[in-house]
Amino acid sequence: MRYTWRPAAAGPFVAAAVATLLLIASLVWGGDDDAGFLNGRQLRLMAPAAPGGGWDQTAREMQAALRGEVGRTEVYNVAGAGGTIGLSQFVRHDGDATQLMVMGLVMVGAIKSNDSPVALDQTTPLARLLTDYEVIVVPADSPVKGMSDLVAAMKDDVGKVSWAGGSAGGIEQILAGLVADAVGADPAEVNYVAHSGGGEALSTLLSGRATAGVSGVSELVGQIKAGTIRPIAVSSPQRLPNLPDVPTLKEQGVDVELANWRGVVAPPGISADDERQLEDLLVRMTRTDAWRETLERRGWSDATLTGDQFEQYLAGERRTVTDVLVKMGLA
Amino acid sequence: MGDLLSGFADALTPGNLLWAFVGVTIGTAVGVLPGIGPALTVALLLPVTFRLEPAAALIMFAGIYYGGMYGGSTTSILLNTPGESASVATALEGNKMARAGRGAAALATAALGSFVAGTIGTIALSAAAPLVADIAVNFGPPEYVALMAVAFVTVSALLGPSLLKGAAGLVIGATIGLVGIDTQTGQTRLSFGLPSLFDGIDVVIVVVALFALGETFAHLIAGTGASRVEPLRGQPMLSREDFRRSWPAWLRGTALGFPIGSLPAGGADVPTFLSYSIEKRLSKRPEQFGRGAIEGVAGPEAANNAAAAGVLVPLLTIGLPTSATAAVILTAFQSYGLQPGPQLFSESGDLVWALIASLYIGNVLLLVLNLPLAKVWVRLLGIPAYGIYAGVLVFACLGAFAAGGTIADLIVLTVLGLLGLLMREAGVPVAPAVVGLILAPLAEQQLRRALALSEGDWSTLVSSPLTVALWILVVLALVAPPLLSWRRRRVSQTLEETSTTH
Amino acid sequence: MTDIEEGRPLPETPEVAHREARAAGALGVLMVVAAVVVLVDAARLRDSDEALGPAAAPTLLGVLLGLIGGALAFQSRHFLRTPERPHRRLWRLAALVAGLVAFALLLPIMGYVVSSAGLFTGAALLLGAPHPARVAAYGWTLAVIVFLVFDVLIGLSLPTGPWGF
Repeated sequence: MRYTWRPAAAGPFVAAAVATLLLIASLVWGGDDDAGFLNGRQLRLMAPAAPGGGWDQTAREMQAALRGEVGRTEVYNVAGAGGTIGLSQFVRHDGDATQLMVMGLVMVGAIKSNDSPVALDQTTPLARLLTDYEVIVVPADSPVKGMSDLVAAMKDDVGKVSWAGGSAGGIEQILAGLVADAVGADPAEVNYVAHSGGGEALSTLLSGRATAGVSGVSELVGQIKAGTIRPIAVSSPQRLPNLPDVPTLKEQGVDVELANWRGVVAPPGISADDERQLEDLLVRMTRTDAWRETLERRGWSDATLTGDQFEQYLAGERRTVTDVLVKMGLA
Repeated sequence: MGDLLSGFADALTPGNLLWAFVGVTIGTAVGVLPGIGPALTVALLLPVTFRLEPAAALIMFAGIYYGGMYGGSTTSILLNTPGESASVATALEGNKMARAGRGAAALATAALGSFVAGTIGTIALSAAAPLVADIAVNFGPPEYVALMAVAFVTVSALLGPSLLKGAAGLVIGATIGLVGIDTQTGQTRLSFGLPSLFDGIDVVIVVVALFALGETFAHLIAGTGASRVEPLRGQPMLSREDFRRSWPAWLRGTALGFPIGSLPAGGADVPTFLSYSIEKRLSKRPEQFGRGAIEGVAGPEAANNAAAAGVLVPLLTIGLPTSATAAVILTAFQSYGLQPGPQLFSESGDLVWALIASLYIGNVLLLVLNLPLAKVWVRLLGIPAYGIYAGVLVFACLGAFAAGGTIADLIVLTVLGLLGLLMREAGVPVAPAVVGLILAPLAEQQLRRALALSEGDWSTLVSSPLTVALWILVVLALVAPPLLSWRRRRVSQTLEETSTTH
Repeated sequence: MTDIEEGRPLPETPEVAHREARAAGALGVLMVVAAVVVLVDAARLRDSDEALGPAAAPTLLGVLLGLIGGALAFQSRHFLRTPERPHRRLWRLAALVAGLVAFALLLPIMGYVVSSAGLFTGAALLLGAPHPARVAAYGWTLAVIVFLVFDVLIGLSLPTGPWGF
């Protein structure tokens, strides 16, 4: 019997009816499993980047840590252009307190360098959650022993020192520019070789063709411990607990501090009451065991900061980043 | 060896086998859908595995990963709608075979080839991962430039019968690859101020638009919506002849796929293109290429799955995610408690061996599932074209929306679909466009990076033994084919002469 | 036997060859236009101090696009002048493209299930499906299954309408 596509005339209609019943059933049973917060409505959390990156990781770790507080939350990705595509979509949820978005320093830079029509002051900043400091590394067999060697080389000819790091205008390039500025070299002359991610930059560094590499500490800790690359400085104010032997930039006479922080914002126009409730929720989340364990596992540092303090911090970061991007000729 | 055996002992419980089977099934099922490539498949299905204990989660994950990598070949062969770039080469011959009623043979050689390549790849992964990684990290920008040159000179076989039209496809693809932010300077190119274009156009969207939408539109204007393909009756799925022609192609595909997949910027698509070209060059019946040559399915499909194993090498040994799929996998490993990187084997040895054992098991189950399914899938063609292509359209839109999350992605999809239709009508092949889209941006980036690192000194391109070796290959690839065809002509002449003397 | 050596069948009729040549000509013209756009866009880029700047690749590709497009258009110049006969199902194509655009626009308002069911039904009917009601039932079923599997089960969040799906 040859198979042909001619089911009984009623078949498709029965199938459609069954499907509709299932759909209604899923709506009825799926709707009421979280209660209390925001009248039982589910929180939706946007990661304005592709799966796998820092914002996506932050959003998914938040999802896990929030489970005990508000039940199920939903994470979705809107990728593109340093998060500015996600941002422009996010600000349309005017007044909807169930919508949250992860953001961070990279977005502050991207808004400036992409000339984004939407800026962060069109959102309601809630909290800074964590920071991931940057580490400057050299290949294991490099003649560069510490920052002083690198600084000397940069003073000699800044173009001869090549830096491998993440995307153009991103946090790594900003750090390279800040270092050049601090040691009296021209930030616009920095020979920065951009890569689409820390992994790709690492492979260029391991091939021995770049002078130095810059990346988030959490991305490189494994390599550093294995001895394939040598750390020469971290960008934190104090030495980091997971790299206690690595001096900070300031210790080595380079007056630069840079934290790749990440935080959460809500849409514009939410009520003051909702804003306070959301901030409380995030602070409660940072105190959960799940979140503590996440920070340790990922090598992130706790940096909880809320309310007016966070808004002031945000304004300060915008000035620093704009300043260095302009000096580097990127904005 | 003992480590691997204890890994098997961890993985081979009845409960875990069930999870492996579930993983393979849903991985294949989601991977089959056009527009939903392996990265998205793995990203979507990962949370499902998080609810299990680590060993069970790993084994289910292995099934999803290999299933997702394999799944794309089915729609490539049957419907000429690859869901991702690594299945494009499979569609070239596979769909011709399906239209000639030999879809089951194409699916069978793809399934067997995937199994052979996946198994050899996994063996190579468990035996030589650190060694391969040591070589792979020596690949810096100059080496990639040379590798891209090798790829460019060998893919000419993909260009089709008319060189001009093939080149047109290549250049169109390369131009699409320009769209978006330039990584080195952060400036946008060809984006016309539209933020949705700033990050470029996702390769999956281009592939789905050019193939799936182009195919749908072509049926629409040709009015062939009620047509269906009749499979040939009463033939074994894979004849002795088919098998004899397939197995060398499987091995060659594996030999290309694993090492290139292991390179930090290698990926799974480049080896499939190379494999197709090499099979066409080496074939005793090159005239069959373009009309359904089984080697042209066996080779690329093996290369694809060997590369899937290869991608895990830099990921596990240096913690380098080399593609979107790998970045998602890295997140997965971390949540299972694996910390990929140089100390992986010393710090979480048990889990690594359980993972590797899982990969073997996933591979076997994939074969067990897909070989019998080949006959079932072919029946899909019994559905009239209007049903199939309306469904393809729904999934293509779902994939485009899921990849970017914006309406603009759907508009881009439609516009590129129209471009695909025009190319098809003009007799311009679409496969070279995908090649251009992948190779050209990679070549540009690596060349500019190499020159930036050497401060504009072009001699950096031949600054290491590896680069010199690759450039010699480029020269050979340019010189050898004319020589080979000249020799072949000589041989066939002598054969004819000897046969006439008898 | 030349057709076999070329690896593809000869066009069956002059009609088909004619159509292909006309399409190739149109593509060629389009490529020349694109070449101009690419070159203008490349000229606008800020130069960097790299040995190869951001404009190098677009300039090369722009030139290639122009040359190859020009060659394609030149090859089929005779066919471009003859007018196309209008009644070739092109209106169906226009309708489907309009349907896709409508799908994109309606998705956030009507939700995934309704929009996709509509897209399936519209596409199938344009492709020549015989029974509208049955096709609509299949479309609805497919859309609901996709929604249930991807949104409810896997957690890929799809747009919903005012009715929650």
